[in-house]
Amino acid sequence: MAIVIQPYRPEHEPAVAEFNQRLRQAGEDENMVFYRWAEPRWLPRRAESRIYNEFFVAVDDGIVRGGYALKTQEFFFPDGQTRSIAYYHHPLSEGIVNKAHAMVGTLLLRDAMQRVPLLYCLGMGGYDRPLPRMLVRLGWAHSLVPFFFRIVNPSRFLRNMQTLRSSPSQKFLLDIAAYSGAGWAGSKLFQSYRALVAPRSAAADGCEVTSFEADAEGLQSLWEQARQTCSFTAVRDAEALHILYSPALKHLTRLVVRRRGSAIGWAVVGERRKDAKYGNLRVGSVVDCFALSGELFPVVRCATQTLERQGFDLILSNQSHHAWGEAFKAAGYMPGPSNFLFAASKKLAELLAPFEAARPRMHLTRADGDGLPGNF
Amino acid sequence: MTASTFEQVRNIASDIFGIPAGKITAESSPETIENWDSMQHLNLVLAIEEKFGVQLEPEDVEQMKSIGAVAALVEKLQSAAH
Repeated sequence: MAIVIQPYRPEHEPAVAEFNQRLRQAGEDENMVFYRWAEPRWLPRRAESRIYNEFFVAVDDGIVRGGYALKTQEFFFPDGQTRSIAYYHHPLSEGIVNKAHAMVGTLLLRDAMQRVPLLYCLGMGGYDRPLPRMLVRLGWAHSLVPFFFRIVNPSRFLRNMQTLRSSPSQKFLLDIAAYSGAGWAGSKLFQSYRALVAPRSAAADGCEVTSFEADAEGLQSLWEQARQTCSFTAVRDAEALHILYSPALKHLTRLVVRRRGSAIGWAVVGERRKDAKYGNLRVGSVVDCFALSGELFPVVRCATQTLERQGFDLILSNQSHHAWGEAFKAAGYMPGPSNFLFAASKKLAELLAPFEAARPRMHLTRADGDGLPGNF
Repeated sequence: MTASTFEQVRNIASDIFGIPAGKITAESSPETIENWDSMQHLNLVLAIEEKFGVQLEPEDVEQMKSIGAVAALVEKLQSAAH
């Protein structure tokens, strides 16, 4: 029997459970499993859906050998048009544990490209991982999405960052810095310097913060006024924001920043998933943001203050738009090495051409990924 | 499958998998070639498309389970095109 890739339906669930069991038995990461249920818990497709997830499985004579997911969403393009495109995520092939199925990874990707030629991938963990290597080999346009971090609690940061503490000598020096206060002084000095050189015309003074619910009209107006500052961005109008950041998502704080009664921007912030490399740190994330031209800095500052008040030790964000990167740096964030990639299929890249010219004004954040609450 | 097609496919596989052509037989598969993983499978697909000027559909990719099967597939696609 030939492998057939088809929409994941409830009758496939037992075969998917067996597929996941085979992956686990082969010693794969226990998180490396496909979706247990055919209907997505986040953004299931409805007749009127503008943003939705769909799952597909590769079935060989009743046995599931792999699967992938597509999140379909509207994006704003450099030509001023809005188009529905899809995000290819969670591809999983039995080829990772049984080489007899080495072809499944290629099959999954090619199937997705046939279903939705305007396709992108995001995140992926760095260029050395299998999926990005495949995308590069297929000629997809690609770039790194810059990473920014702000240390709120330097002593806890130095004691907990596992990636910095890889050798006994590094561990010793970091403990000295943490307990002596040198780390605190260095971090605060850097942030004070950033505050001094921050754009004064766009200072956050005089801004007030409200909730999404209190200012739906402002959110819609912001989208209409500010989308032209981006060469490429997911549609972030009021309806899309309501779908993506439903009030039911209690782990997220959704704030609108206003000055003199008018909305100038918004941000969504929340706690980042637990990750061994951050030790016991409480890690916050500026998940998503949008603002009028020239008003980015106060939005970053309000988002940061919100997370600081919530007690986070470290705040992270990924921002592809050059102006947002500058605003984060001005707000005391430091750029760090990124393993968060954006890749566009050839058909999608044609609409972004020239890709290198469009790249600095593409607005991509962690929110454009799979949306799993922990992955923000 | 003709000897000529098999030889060409075997030379492509030799380049991609980094093993001498003489060690590749029609029965060679992902289970017998250590480097034949998902990435190299994609490289094989792209190299076959480029070398023979064919477009492989998902059902074709799925048939590429051995070097002999790849050569047979190439011949089938070439004869269908003529």
